[in-house]
Amino acid sequence: MPSQQSLLLSEHYGKPDFAKLEGYKKHGGYAVLAKALKMEPKAIIDEVKSSGLRGRGGAGFPTGMKWSFLPANGEPRYLLCNADEGEPGTFKDRLMMERAPHQLIEGMIISAFAIGCKKSYIYIRGEYDFAKEVVAGAIVEAYKAGLLGKNILGSGFDHDMDVYSGAGAYICGEETGMISSLEGLKGQPKLKPPFPAVQGYLRKPTIVNNVETLAAVKYIIRDGAPAYKKYGTEKSPGTKLFSVSGNVVKPGNYEVVLGMPLKDLIFDLCGGLKPGRKLKAVIPGGSSAPVLTAEEAMKATMDYECLAQMGSMLGSGAIIVIDDSNSMVDLLQVIMHFYHHESCGQCTPCREGTGWLSKILHDIASGHAEVKDIDLVKKISEQMMGKTICALSDAAAMAAISFVTKFRSEFEQHLQAGKRTLGSSAHA
Amino acid sequence: MPKIKINGNEVEVPQGSTIIQAFKATGVEICHYCWHPGLSVAGVCRLCMVQIEGMPKLQIACNTEVKEGMVINNTSDVVKETVRWGLDFHLINHPLDCPICDQAGECGLQDQYMKFGQYDPEMAENKVKKHKVVDLGPTVVLDSERCILCSRCVRFTDEVSKTNELGIFNRGDRCEIGTVAGKPLANNYSLNTVDICPVGALTSKDFRFRQRVWYLKEADSICPGCSTGCNVKVNYNEEGLWRIRPRENKEVNGHWMCDVGRDSYKFVNLKNRLVAGKVGQRGSWQEVTATDAARSAGLKLRETVAQHGPDSVALVVTGQYTNEEYHRLFTFFTVNLESNNIFHWMNNPETTKDFDGLLFRGDRNPNTKGVVDALGSFALKAKWEDLQSQLSSRKIKVVVVAGPENQAVFPDMTEKITFFAQAESMIWLTAGQSEALNQTGAETWQIPLKTYIEKSGSFTNVQGKVQTFKVGTTIVAQAFTLSEVVELFSGQELNWNLRPHSLGGVKTNYSIANRGAL
Repeated sequence: MPSQQSLLLSEHYGKPDFAKLEGYKKHGGYAVLAKALKMEPKAIIDEVKSSGLRGRGGAGFPTGMKWSFLPANGEPRYLLCNADEGEPGTFKDRLMMERAPHQLIEGMIISAFAIGCKKSYIYIRGEYDFAKEVVAGAIVEAYKAGLLGKNILGSGFDHDMDVYSGAGAYICGEETGMISSLEGLKGQPKLKPPFPAVQGYLRKPTIVNNVETLAAVKYIIRDGAPAYKKYGTEKSPGTKLFSVSGNVVKPGNYEVVLGMPLKDLIFDLCGGLKPGRKLKAVIPGGSSAPVLTAEEAMKATMDYECLAQMGSMLGSGAIIVIDDSNSMVDLLQVIMHFYHHESCGQCTPCREGTGWLSKILHDIASGHAEVKDIDLVKKISEQMMGKTICALSDAAAMAAISFVTKFRSEFEQHLQAGKRTLGSSAHA
Repeated sequence: MPKIKINGNEVEVPQGSTIIQAFKATGVEICHYCWHPGLSVAGVCRLCMVQIEGMPKLQIACNTEVKEGMVINNTSDVVKETVRWGLDFHLINHPLDCPICDQAGECGLQDQYMKFGQYDPEMAENKVKKHKVVDLGPTVVLDSERCILCSRCVRFTDEVSKTNELGIFNRGDRCEIGTVAGKPLANNYSLNTVDICPVGALTSKDFRFRQRVWYLKEADSICPGCSTGCNVKVNYNEEGLWRIRPRENKEVNGHWMCDVGRDSYKFVNLKNRLVAGKVGQRGSWQEVTATDAARSAGLKLRETVAQHGPDSVALVVTGQYTNEEYHRLFTFFTVNLESNNIFHWMNNPETTKDFDGLLFRGDRNPNTKGVVDALGSFALKAKWEDLQSQLSSRKIKVVVVAGPENQAVFPDMTEKITFFAQAESMIWLTAGQSEALNQTGAETWQIPLKTYIEKSGSFTNVQGKVQTFKVGTTIVAQAFTLSEVVELFSGQELNWNLRPHSLGGVKTNYSIANRGAL
């Protein structure tokens, strides 16, 4: 596999007019919608199912399967686009919304048609002011062009779409947290069961999909599932946008096929590290994904299976590259501070555990801790795993466990160095 | 009914039960805070974790429905360790101020730590500081540091009282319960939040710092506050009653009671009570024993009937006594005295039908239905207007009044005393002292009565449900039930062995000793 970008979704992102309806149409925009509206809704779902498309938000759940959980009755249902891109290191949805809002809208109308939904919302992260403006503007354009509203393109299908702004809470990116927020409640995840597909927004069946997932639907319908499956690996088909940040020469969003070696992505596409630096670690899927050591990173391929096998995950596709100029202790402290700040406070292990971890990490970082505290971090984290309503607790725990396990010697050295420093200054 | 296995024992539980309900029904211990049988499932304390065969992760028992053949375990090491850590998470930021905490002795954290915790804490960091002594409203005080954010109180105000005063503000370990500015926790059910608070976060202004709960005894009773007849438990010691809390009865009050009902311990206590008999009138009261007062009143009553016939006496009753007492009193009047002059004193007929939709009713008598039924069964049809005309025509010489036990709910008390005083003599059977009564010019006997907590009997509530209750404690040793008064009226002796002994005057718990264990 050549180490190059595969431009499917992002083919026209460089063209300024692509964000406007006219420009979008010039590049074949809404042609797929016209095609889809002539198809049987079930055929669209089947196409998505056989494409093997997996959710691009983080969990990687097969999209077609998610759709098929909807009850097969005429009950009103909702499609929510999760654009509350909050995972540290992720910035792909922002690009997609700012550069290609109609691509998302088209994908959403097709998806809504497939699942028989008449109303959808795009829940955009509070901080994404510009993206919100662009998407809201695009929706207005679409309404004017008869692409939204009653009887879309003469097909008899009605669909309404709205933008809803979050207020900047990470937890509102969790699908049920997002539903709570959209309902006007405090943004905190709901107890499952019932799952959103059965009882979601306003207690009606609801599908929540990521921006990239919904945009990809368009291409699956355009080219057909077999063509889409030509990209990527057998179990992780398709292309994916990776947000590469950290100590690389050319950070940014890269659309590549799934299964690309991480090494190629970092060293070819992103121009490698700065001169003289050595790779220390890579977080492959946002701050929730367990960190990979440099050796692991060199062997990893960017698909769901390989990373799962390595005990990490593809997550949202946020690759954070860490070279030897960084302290893993400081990094973990920052990550723990983030989860402490963002825990909704509903479930006790997460509410109390994230705070506890953050404080211990602060102590370790400032040298006011002992080696046994490193073990305590692991013990606390283990008890936070799989014990709560949503995965925020697991995310914090997995990050902490991977850091203190894989980089334990660095933590120990840090503590010893800290002691020496403290000791000498106290002496002086 | 699905058959399931809990810790190796096969049990059958109703279809649709959750695992925690199955545990409760079969008496198997399970640790939990946020789950409450009267509220929706929150699933946030994460303590009711169980292991279910075939499921990779532990599940919370409160949100998992039982299925036929489920094999459930909560005694495995994994579960125990999880619960221990779960408790630790609850406690790391808890101030552990039990010695000065009002909840100590009935605290979920203390109890569950002793049962399921008993670990050595490893938390060495500074605890999160939160607001203390937060005035939530007229009845409840909040200590946010003690709060474990189980959300029971919030769910209560959302789902039961439907007043929505409480919410959880902020995020993570900075979360705090609170009210919106300008909307305090002020509803007639606010103190239920204190009951369901598993820790000392919400405390009752009325009860806090007044007694250590382990010094209090508890007795079951029926609330006399209104015609709903909530099932309650009363906490008392030798000094008197200290608080009333609801006792579960699905058919009557569920898990709750109103704040008004909780006040119905106050009139029972000694300082409001008539502790001995009193004979005389304004300016010339003579204190006598209750027995002597009752005997001489009885004599007066029988003499009056002998002299002027049965229509020269009248009985006025309120809806505050037991069915048994009405029966005994009505029998005495209709059979022994052959008088049908029995009248029902309605304190607030215009609000009698009021109902707040949950528990509290405008009829502030526990047994209006009972008295109406008793009047019916004795075929007594006398109207209040008859009493009026007979009093003004001086036909009635003696009025016996079984007055209100709780005078506060009889706003017409003074007015009625003047009204009854048109007769030559009044015999007042009353639990409480009344200044208005002390000011009467008519010759009057005041005979002390027992209150609901001092006697056994039954009330018929507004639904027609006959609810029995037993003696809880004795506050006024000399006081009688109406039935006992009737014995003395008719010249009989009481079985003094069954009477509470008076130790150094007035207070004793002897009746409890006689009854055996509570």
